[in-house]
Amino acid sequence: MLDLLREISQTLRNNKLRTVLTGIAVAWGIFMLIILLGAARGVNNSFEENMGSRATNVISIWGGRTSKPYKGYKDGRWIELKGEDAKAIKNDNESTVSDVVPFASADTAKISTSLDVIQGFDAVFPDAARTERMTIKYGRFINDLDISGARRVMVLRDTQAALLFGNDSTALGKTVSSMGLAWTVVGIYTHRWNRTTYAPYTAYKAVTGNNDDAYQLNVTVQGLTDEASGEAAEDDIRASLARQHEFAPDDANAIWTWNRFNDYLRGQTAGNILQIAVWVLGLLTLLTGIVGVSNIMFVSVRERTHEIGIRRAIGAKPRSIVTQVITESVAMTAIFGYIGVFMGFVVLQLINYFVGDNTEGFKNPTVDLSIAVEVTIALIIAGAIAGLFPAIKATKVKPVEALRDE
Amino acid sequence: MIITLRNVNKTYPGVVPLHVLKDINLEIARGELVSIMGASGSGKSTLLNILGILDNYDSGEYRLDGVEIRNLSENRAAELRNRMIGFVFQSFNLIGYKNALENVALPLYYQGMSRRKRNALAMEQLERLGLADRATHLPGELSGGQKQRVAIARAIVTKPSIILADEPTGALDSHTSKEVMEIFRQLNAEGMTIVIVTHDPGVGAATNRIIRIVDGEIVNQDA
Repeated sequence: MLDLLREISQTLRNNKLRTVLTGIAVAWGIFMLIILLGAARGVNNSFEENMGSRATNVISIWGGRTSKPYKGYKDGRWIELKGEDAKAIKNDNESTVSDVVPFASADTAKISTSLDVIQGFDAVFPDAARTERMTIKYGRFINDLDISGARRVMVLRDTQAALLFGNDSTALGKTVSSMGLAWTVVGIYTHRWNRTTYAPYTAYKAVTGNNDDAYQLNVTVQGLTDEASGEAAEDDIRASLARQHEFAPDDANAIWTWNRFNDYLRGQTAGNILQIAVWVLGLLTLLTGIVGVSNIMFVSVRERTHEIGIRRAIGAKPRSIVTQVITESVAMTAIFGYIGVFMGFVVLQLINYFVGDNTEGFKNPTVDLSIAVEVTIALIIAGAIAGLFPAIKATKVKPVEALRDE
Repeated sequence: MIITLRNVNKTYPGVVPLHVLKDINLEIARGELVSIMGASGSGKSTLLNILGILDNYDSGEYRLDGVEIRNLSENRAAELRNRMIGFVFQSFNLIGYKNALENVALPLYYQGMSRRKRNALAMEQLERLGLADRATHLPGELSGGQKQRVAIARAIVTKPSIILADEPTGALDSHTSKEVMEIFRQLNAEGMTIVIVTHDPGVGAATNRIIRIVDGEIVNQDA
């Protein structure tokens, strides 16, 4: 094997210009493939990250306004979701719904300290930490004891805490005033874009006189596999609420829903299609490189007819000639392919360095090890195909060629 | 007998078929130094091709060192050429981008011998032919005589049954030709069987037996 490689490096070096010119075609093809894959990866990454900032198995529901008359009610009626709707949805859909958590919105409430004032908070259950995917920086999120005791506590985004206290690290345990009462800060979180302030659902209800209005219901679904099952689960939930609030089950305006699960699936499908398209384009580009290599191997075999004749005369078997030509082709494709891979990596890193983190929709446009492995396999196959026909031609050279004068 | 040909015929097909070898009968004993002489077109090159297992014959029988050479596969022919025959060519036929040592070692490479072992054997042959100091030179850096000596080293490195030389002095001046013939005589003295194809009477005279071929027939076999 080592001997074979030595043979090949000798013949490739013997034809430097030709080798390099062909190699550039291959390197360019691979370079484009890597850049395209990286770009596609960038788009996918930013999609995954946006999705990853929220749990993907959640359907959110808001109240709307009916658009058709139903059971004696006129159209144009406001539907106001209630905390107790959660129980109904859960009971009606035991197999697909694992949890329902109401949110109430205190969007007019002011939260103030001696330093500054911010506006509005959401009244939530502990489960919100999971569905909203926030990262706790200091302290904790709202817990079950806060809910059962209706404790007046709040969890702030770090930047908001900085506004109110000058520094987010010192905010923990301090109090803010809202709705005329004092609330204790028990947690500080970070998130990509969310900056909502959170308080326990029960505490808010206690302050506002125990009405059960819910601004939003977050339904956590389970066991869903495809878009159809996602649609079905959504329809079932809508039917439950239609019974509860007496609106037409097919009234699209009575409630508003956001099916994150189906969004995620659609995004994934789009991502997969993009990935496939990129591979096809990349491989077509690579094909030009292969044709180039194949061509050059033909020229090489022709030029070396005499040499191959000599080798045959002194005892080279047809198989060793085939092996040599194909290995030469694979080596050339692989070496220049890897130069292309390397250049691609460098350019992607540069792109990533300059625009990667702060460009929306193009996060971390790099390729990983598994891509490198796939590209390696593609290169070896490509090189072997490129060398195959010239190699067969080479075996047709008769050893008598050695006796012919050049 | 190391070479035995019985009624060997060879015809090149074509619109007018060309009967180049006609009932060739030939025996060459082990340890002989023989030349085959003939004008161009006489069929001596075809005879050399058949002796060297580079070409097939149509009818008759050819035995080389006891092995019948007939309808061999490409692989078997390559193997026999590698082990039984050492070729020396008019235009040397060294590989231009390999140095002298690598050229000499090439037949051993095709035997699957390890690099260290074949380089040692190749070096031994170069030393024998007085070229040890040229081992790392490329053919382009060697004189004609040196090139032919490298080619002879390559021919004998596998310890073949016979050496087949095709106009080995055709590209050399008279002085160098004499040197090369001297090498052949010396190898022959050490027991090597050598067959030289030539049209040069001087070369023929330096061998022990001349086989003359005219129009595809052997006319006489002088001692």
